[in-house]
Amino acid sequence: MTTPIIRRIVGWLLPFLWIFSFYIMLFGHLSPGGGFSGGSVLGACLILDRHVNGANAFGARFTGERLLKLSLAALLLYGILKGQSFLAGVLHMNGLPIPLGTPGNILSSGLILPLNVLVGIVVAVAFYLIATLFEEGHL
Amino acid sequence: MQGLHLTSLLSILILMITAFIMPVIKQRQLVTKISLATMGVVLVMLALVAVDVARVEHYTATIGHYDAPFGITFDIGPIEAVVGVLFAFVSTMVVWYASFGIHKEIKENRVKLFYTLIHLLLASLLGIVFTSDLFNSFVFIEVSTLAACGLIAIKDKPENIKATMKYLILSSLGSGLVLMGIAYLYSMTGHLNMRAIHETLQVSVAGNERAILVSLTMFTIGLGIKAAMFPLHIWLPDAHASAPGPSSAILSGIVIKAPVVLLFKVLFMVYGHEILKDTVILNLILIFGATGMIMGSLFARVQTDLKRMVAYSSVAQMGYIFFGFGLGNAMGMTIAIYHILAHGLTKSCLFLSVSSFIEQTGQRDIDNMRGIGREMPITLAIFSLGGLSMVGIPMLPGFVSKWNLALAAIDYGQIFLLLIILASSLLNVSYYFPIIINGYFGNANLEGKIYKSKMKPVRELVPLILLSIMMVIVGFGSGPILDWIASAMPSL
Repeated sequence: MTTPIIRRIVGWLLPFLWIFSFYIMLFGHLSPGGGFSGGSVLGACLILDRHVNGANAFGARFTGERLLKLSLAALLLYGILKGQSFLAGVLHMNGLPIPLGTPGNILSSGLILPLNVLVGIVVAVAFYLIATLFEEGHL
Repeated sequence: MQGLHLTSLLSILILMITAFIMPVIKQRQLVTKISLATMGVVLVMLALVAVDVARVEHYTATIGHYDAPFGITFDIGPIEAVVGVLFAFVSTMVVWYASFGIHKEIKENRVKLFYTLIHLLLASLLGIVFTSDLFNSFVFIEVSTLAACGLIAIKDKPENIKATMKYLILSSLGSGLVLMGIAYLYSMTGHLNMRAIHETLQVSVAGNERAILVSLTMFTIGLGIKAAMFPLHIWLPDAHASAPGPSSAILSGIVIKAPVVLLFKVLFMVYGHEILKDTVILNLILIFGATGMIMGSLFARVQTDLKRMVAYSSVAQMGYIFFGFGLGNAMGMTIAIYHILAHGLTKSCLFLSVSSFIEQTGQRDIDNMRGIGREMPITLAIFSLGGLSMVGIPMLPGFVSKWNLALAAIDYGQIFLLLIILASSLLNVSYYFPIIINGYFGNANLEGKIYKSKMKPVRELVPLILLSIMMVIVGFGSGPILDWIASAMPSL
């Protein structure tokens, strides 16, 4: 499936896609995008890389076990960060004092930025793992 | 007290968080211990919720930082508290039971996944019951469907995959219909909060009758599929019979109950009696429930596989719950909620004892269960207690349900409905009693069987015994429980 044409074009495209995926995640609170869309682009990058570059691919260096741990850690952190906010809501309190920053800056709007990044990680890993599942039949 | 209001949310949060810790832990023993400890904590928390509700009658916990019509809230009254405690109790006992033997039924590397799925499942079921936001309940329904599918497919046999696909497809149809129903309600009222929808709907009935009927039908069919209402039950026997023992207990005991609670809230708290009495929905539910009571039992009667028989019996018992809803009077609704309790405890007890028969003898056929009472006397005693409750022997919860259902039917004004309850009970006798009688009695049956030869160690039977004790307590203490549930019924 990998002809030199595809390999060359993917080689050109991938760096931009990588940066674009992080842009979508990090600017989710300022412009269209967010965790899920950024994560799906990131996942697509990993899948593309793996299909074209095979064993040399960036994604192939991460085994299923490690990726699973990464996404579980992201989920756990998400649960704790958002959970404390929910719990504070029940008590009519404010939760963790996260500075809101200046509107328009990347570091603003409190919890939304870290949560977007965490969702992005989970989505990217899930996409990648599902793709490898179909490729080899196991992780 | 404000602090206690946290516990309802905290129980769901703890389950979700621990669910994702387990896949990375290496030792199976540790996973089991964490799971058991979490379940115990959740049970205590929900008991606290019940205590809290008993004191203040009803409270609202605001999740997020916005109040009711816009933010998501948990509205917790007696019904939610009782059902929550039931869910936590049954799952605790099932996890306890599974901790001894689940690795014999499924592959070693799937055990951790099993506990993860059970945690996710319980969290989503509690969410469905507690939340007062329709869209939030839809999200929890989806989570519960996927987790339940995982619990069936975890055994990796071809028939499990087939049953899972069947369940997944029908369930997706069901949740699709629920989503459409929510969309109709949202476009009519502009709200997702149940109370807000109810208030808006009362004043905007005129001109919306058809849309209301369509959305009502969607909710009834969508949630009916998930709760195995009679003609929509076809996924249930395959799924519940092929799943591993503890999964079946949890699926039959509590997973099909959560949609029922949601249907109850949608019918009587969102639409309300004023709207329902002008539609045919309640009559349809009554007819489906009554047919289910008879047909479920008839199907169960002809099964040769013990587990399939118990699964079909679930269809019949869900019929009782829908029958209670269909009557539409306060007593019918109260007893439907009580039957959720009764059936949840009884059926998980039955499924766990059946799965230990299968585990110890390696046989699934009813014919091969002859003389089992000599080999496994305690387990068959628990099975018998469950069977007697299903049949309706006085003081057991099944009897309380049938008795009050009969009173509610008289109250409804249709005496012939009593015949259906009676016929269904007699059919129950016809398939539960042969197993019990052939298990304990008959010289031909007992020949060559050695007393207690296949019995499980007593410590492995403790969860089963606790479940059956709880069942008896719910039967004996039915008076206060019924009063408490009745105090929460929406006024007619």
